[in-house]
Amino acid sequence: MIRVFNFFCIALMGLSILALYDVSEKTRLTRVDLDKTRHAIAQEQGQISVLETDWARVASPERVATLAQSKLGLDNSSAVQLSSFEQLPRNGEDSPLSQSPLRNANAEAPAQ
Amino acid sequence: MKEGATIFQRRIVIGAAMCVAAFALVVVRLVDVTVFHAAQHRSVAAAIASYRTDLVDRNGEILARDIPVQDLYARPHAFWDASYAAHALSQAAGADEARLKRMFAETRKPYVFVARALTPDAQDRVMHAGLPGLEFQPGYKRYYPDGRATAQVLGRTGLDDDGETIGLSGLEMGLDQQLRDGEPGQSVALSIDMRVQYILAHEVEASRNEFSAKQAGGLVLDVRTGEVLGMVSLPDFDPNARTLGTGDTEHNLVGQDVFELGSVFKIFSFTLATEDHKMRPDEILPIGNGYKIGRFTIHEAEHMPATLAARDVLALSSNIGTTQIALRSGPERQRQFLERMGLLNAIHTELPEARRPQFPAHWGQVETATVSFGHGISVSPLAFAAAAAAIVNGGRKIVPTFLKHPEDGRGEQLIKPETSEKMRDLLRYVVTNGTGKKADVPGYDVGGKTGSAQKARIGGHGYEHKLVTSFCAVFPVHDPRYLVFVVLDEPHGTKQTFGFALAGYTAAPLAGRVISRIAPILGVPQHQDPIVVARGTP
Repeated sequence: MIRVFNFFCIALMGLSILALYDVSEKTRLTRVDLDKTRHAIAQEQGQISVLETDWARVASPERVATLAQSKLGLDNSSAVQLSSFEQLPRNGEDSPLSQSPLRNANAEAPAQ
Repeated sequence: MKEGATIFQRRIVIGAAMCVAAFALVVVRLVDVTVFHAAQHRSVAAAIASYRTDLVDRNGEILARDIPVQDLYARPHAFWDASYAAHALSQAAGADEARLKRMFAETRKPYVFVARALTPDAQDRVMHAGLPGLEFQPGYKRYYPDGRATAQVLGRTGLDDDGETIGLSGLEMGLDQQLRDGEPGQSVALSIDMRVQYILAHEVEASRNEFSAKQAGGLVLDVRTGEVLGMVSLPDFDPNARTLGTGDTEHNLVGQDVFELGSVFKIFSFTLATEDHKMRPDEILPIGNGYKIGRFTIHEAEHMPATLAARDVLALSSNIGTTQIALRSGPERQRQFLERMGLLNAIHTELPEARRPQFPAHWGQVETATVSFGHGISVSPLAFAAAAAAIVNGGRKIVPTFLKHPEDGRGEQLIKPETSEKMRDLLRYVVTNGTGKKADVPGYDVGGKTGSAQKARIGGHGYEHKLVTSFCAVFPVHDPRYLVFVVLDEPHGTKQTFGFALAGYTAAPLAGRVISRIAPILGVPQHQDPIVVARGTP
């Protein structure tokens, strides 16, 4: 009985050694993969960082304004050309603008 | 008596002990790998991610970021044609060809430094040159996507003696520790709104060119939170270049300099008189051709009527009228009031460059008179703006900040709310009936005050025939949210201004243009319908 038990223990230890080696090797390989992945992530993050910075540069107000003026002929709008939604006349409201017929859609500054 | 353990039992115990020891080793190694080494790997990854935290504007737009770059080194002995290699590398990396040729020919060192901080596209060009013996050393470069537009407020970075990147000026210096301690992926959100910053920079530059001014600057301040939404100082510099270009400077006119700001200072004289009930806006004051105090005579910058109502003294910017009003409060009270408004101490913000204000050591009647119209006292435009904001925001102190802080930042009550309301009315009157007419923007009820100060002679007494013109504007004046302060150093009159270089012709229109462009962006409600769609006339 004792011999069987001894054999079992030694066999278990041998199996444990093999299993440990297997785990160790898998860990090493996984670590190599992990390092590669981390390196790739760092590279991608670097690229994303550069792209985000480049986007910030090309989408900067100064560049957009320059392009809008040179390519599209756009210019700054005057404050009187802008209004808020709340100031627009709505159907059914008892206001001069609601009662008046719409003749054209031109914006016109109020007389001073 | 108990028998001792048999040989078999001892072997079993030894075998079991070996098993336990083996498993214990496994456990120890597992803990080591999973706990301690994992932490170590994480910290390495973190160190690689970024050296310095991003700076972003209040809307999350990137203002400054460390981007990965490569320093380029070469092994000259690997080149078969050193001259060709020097030419190719100078083309690809922007290095000095003559220096490279000299270094490649003369050096005995195995490596020669070629270029610092190559961007990925420059690195790509170098790789395409197909030269042997090149090596790249990874590093980081601080990049500012908006270039000059934010240069003076953000400042720049450099390397210290240990090779660490540190802030050398501007917010890079003021927030240095915060930027170095930041976690990867995090950013420091500034109060700057890049849209406002660009508009301010664009308009200030246009005015500087139009009036051939030596320097120009401006800032936009939220009078409730104390946030600086934009700050511009010209001339500026390219923060992405390694050296300053011709005519460039890192000197920040708005945050760093102190000026005699002239008549814009009359805001404080009228606030003090209103607070102390020493003046009624409709009372009549004699103006005349000069006002004598001791052996000095106060003069006007422009011709004035013989008498003026107090509100017109401010609107037309009469020095004599303002002097009379200020003398009612007296030197002691005036000094105490200006100190309470924070104008006699250096202002502390995240910007490290701040000079102490200059004011008279002896504060008598004459000094009270000159200080009342902004001469004899020099403050920074930023400090002035903070004090002016307290006057219009209900009378409560604010501390300007360059960090995003959208909550109400108003603190101690400095003047009565009623005084603040009366001053807002007076500032609106200056724009509708006085020297600030060109700053008005339909729909936004601008209030403000002009300032045209003669420049003091450097190192001597008296004043030159050169002006510093400024305009302090608030809008919408009856419920102010923003303050715009602009300043032009030595502007020159043009045909359009009939040769006049006074603030009403130079600084006031500049402030008006800035407001007309930023107010819609900032969502400021218009006071009246600015648009009539299809008038109701048949």
